[in-house]
Amino acid sequence: MSEWALSLHDLVKDFDGKRAVDHISFAVKRGEILGLLGPNGAGKTTTIRMVMDIIAPDAGRVEILGEGLSDKVKDRIGFLPEERGLYRKLKVMDTLLFFGELKGMKAAAVRERGRRLLQQFQLAGYEERKVEELSKGMAQKLQFITTILHDPELLILDEPFSGLDPLNIELIQGIILERKRAGTTIIYSTHLMEYAEKTVDSLVMIDQGRKVLDGTLATVKAEYGQKFIRLQYEGDARFVAGLPYVRSCRDSGREMEIELEDLTKREQLLRDLLGKVTINGFQLSEPSLQNIFIRKVQEGAGA
Amino acid sequence: MNKLFAVIKKEYKTIVKKKSFIIMTILTPVLMAGMMVVPVLLMKVDRSDKKIAVADYAGGYTQALSAVPAEKSEKKKGGLDMDAMNEMPVTAGRISFQQVELAGRDAAALLREYEQKVLKKEIDGLLLIPADVKSQRQVSYYSTSISDFTTLKFIESTLRTAISKQLLLEKQIDPSVVDEATREISMETFKVKKEGTTKSDSGMDYMMSIFMIIILFMILINYGQMIMRGVLEEKTSRISELLISSARSTHIFYGKLLGIGLAGLTQVALWILLAALLVSRFSGMVDAAILSFLTPEIAFYFVIFFILGFFIYAIPYAFIGAAVNTDQEAQQFASVLSVLIIVPYILGISALQNPNSTLTLVASLFPLFTPILMFMRITTAVPPLWQILASIGLCVLTIWGLAWLGAKIFRVGMLMYGKKPSLGEMLRWVRYK
Repeated sequence: MSEWALSLHDLVKDFDGKRAVDHISFAVKRGEILGLLGPNGAGKTTTIRMVMDIIAPDAGRVEILGEGLSDKVKDRIGFLPEERGLYRKLKVMDTLLFFGELKGMKAAAVRERGRRLLQQFQLAGYEERKVEELSKGMAQKLQFITTILHDPELLILDEPFSGLDPLNIELIQGIILERKRAGTTIIYSTHLMEYAEKTVDSLVMIDQGRKVLDGTLATVKAEYGQKFIRLQYEGDARFVAGLPYVRSCRDSGREMEIELEDLTKREQLLRDLLGKVTINGFQLSEPSLQNIFIRKVQEGAGA
Repeated sequence: MNKLFAVIKKEYKTIVKKKSFIIMTILTPVLMAGMMVVPVLLMKVDRSDKKIAVADYAGGYTQALSAVPAEKSEKKKGGLDMDAMNEMPVTAGRISFQQVELAGRDAAALLREYEQKVLKKEIDGLLLIPADVKSQRQVSYYSTSISDFTTLKFIESTLRTAISKQLLLEKQIDPSVVDEATREISMETFKVKKEGTTKSDSGMDYMMSIFMIIILFMILINYGQMIMRGVLEEKTSRISELLISSARSTHIFYGKLLGIGLAGLTQVALWILLAALLVSRFSGMVDAAILSFLTPEIAFYFVIFFILGFFIYAIPYAFIGAAVNTDQEAQQFASVLSVLIIVPYILGISALQNPNSTLTLVASLFPLFTPILMFMRITTAVPPLWQILASIGLCVLTIWGLAWLGAKIFRVGMLMYGKKPSLGEMLRWVRYK
């Protein structure tokens, strides 16, 4: 058994002469969580669709669980498409039965596991309701259940958190971690960097169809070094951007991520801040993925 | 294969559990039974409450008309009974003929007065019998509705008989001979079939034939549109992505066709069962012509041509569902397809009158028309077996081709969002691996 759950080799896809995916290659280790990061329209969904054999790549190939994407391999993958959809007229349990059997499960097994998962997702008692009677959040949870119902070895989730309220985001994150502990390999795409930051083992960043960065979370962050200060404040701190030893800064209004030319300048910064703003917090920090991503994209645009 | 069955099962269950399926399954045989019983009842009730005024310048004819009940007229022997002439009004069958007091008025004056009565619906009509009717054989009937053939035919034949009798009696012929000479004739129609000649009513045959075709036509369109809507739902809700990433597209496509087809077949089978039950239960009330029409053979061919028709039309409907993006677009294309299904129906009307013409033969062998046209031919004049077999064979070949093409268009179309594809683009999909 190969150490890789999924590997992409030089995938290319054009739509109407526009290159949507431009020679993307990466691999995912078994048992890892990989985040596929990038802004909207970067090519994340197109890449995932090629992996899932929904569209054919113009060039390149995909290896999944050690082989090509056959019918049998499809049974070992759980896929959550970006745009959710279920049969509106179908009852909840019938929905699980259909998608479970489509993944090669026996009806009895679907019922048993389905009940457990419905319980876990606070959907117990809804077995005989029609999908159209569920709230949007419930339908999203049901969709997630259909994705993990057959206990897949590989989970591919396209924007799993989009459209969810904070409670359900927490729930899904919990399930993702639980799956990981059970040995499942998980790939998910998102444009929300702060979620990825907390869960992924490694990441691939895509912008305009091109891979701009990949590696484990630790190596990526190390590459950018410890030159960042995270400042929580009240008042007007716009002058910080103009300070000569500040390379860049990202102001969120009450929190600021400041990149220094040199870490020794941190005391200077503190002195400059005193008396001008109220300081609520001041600490050394790693660069956020958000920051790294913006830097990468700007570099790409400049090059 | 398990995935194919999973799709079949889901499609089948979804349809069979629908309320509309259950309602249609029960309602259609009831309507059918109604269609069978109502004409019979109508014939009994039809001529009720007709009031016809008779301006009898010749004399004696009102009595002749009234003496013969409108139905079963051949059973009664009408004679002219001059004594009863003044008893008015006299009722015959369910038409009552009222003698008009002439009081010396001429026909023109009478007509002016009674035209008003006809318009005010006080009476249904005015029958004017001139004094010289015996030699001129000319009467006039004034009414707002002159399309009631049974009434008109009844008046015509009764008057003719009455005049004949009078003429013969004037010639001193024995009244019993006169009665014998003017007895009515009734005609029965028979249908010649290979299996044996059966008593049959040509009007009823025609009606039953049209009726069965309408049912066939209706369910073919109904199930076709069901597939179309199903595919479109999967496409717009992106369930298609889940399906394609779980199973082979051919399994999904064929599973869908088979599942919905089986649901249709279930409905047809239930109809046949219910019809058989109703007919056996109420056989006394059903017209004999209908009983002779509804043979097991007709039921067998109905099933065969439903299956063939289902696949021939359902696959194009599935194309549409996969190719378009919105309901409106789907309806546009679907209406084009409906026209294609109506064509054999229209051709069929001429086929009913002339079931053995070359045009009918050729058209009924054209696979798109076969299910409706060939079935129509079978219900009227059974065509040679080789023609039936040839038409079925051609249909099967067409279905095989359509299924192959359909799976490809389905695979690409289902995952193609946004713009409406051109025909050229769809052809390219076929070559797509």
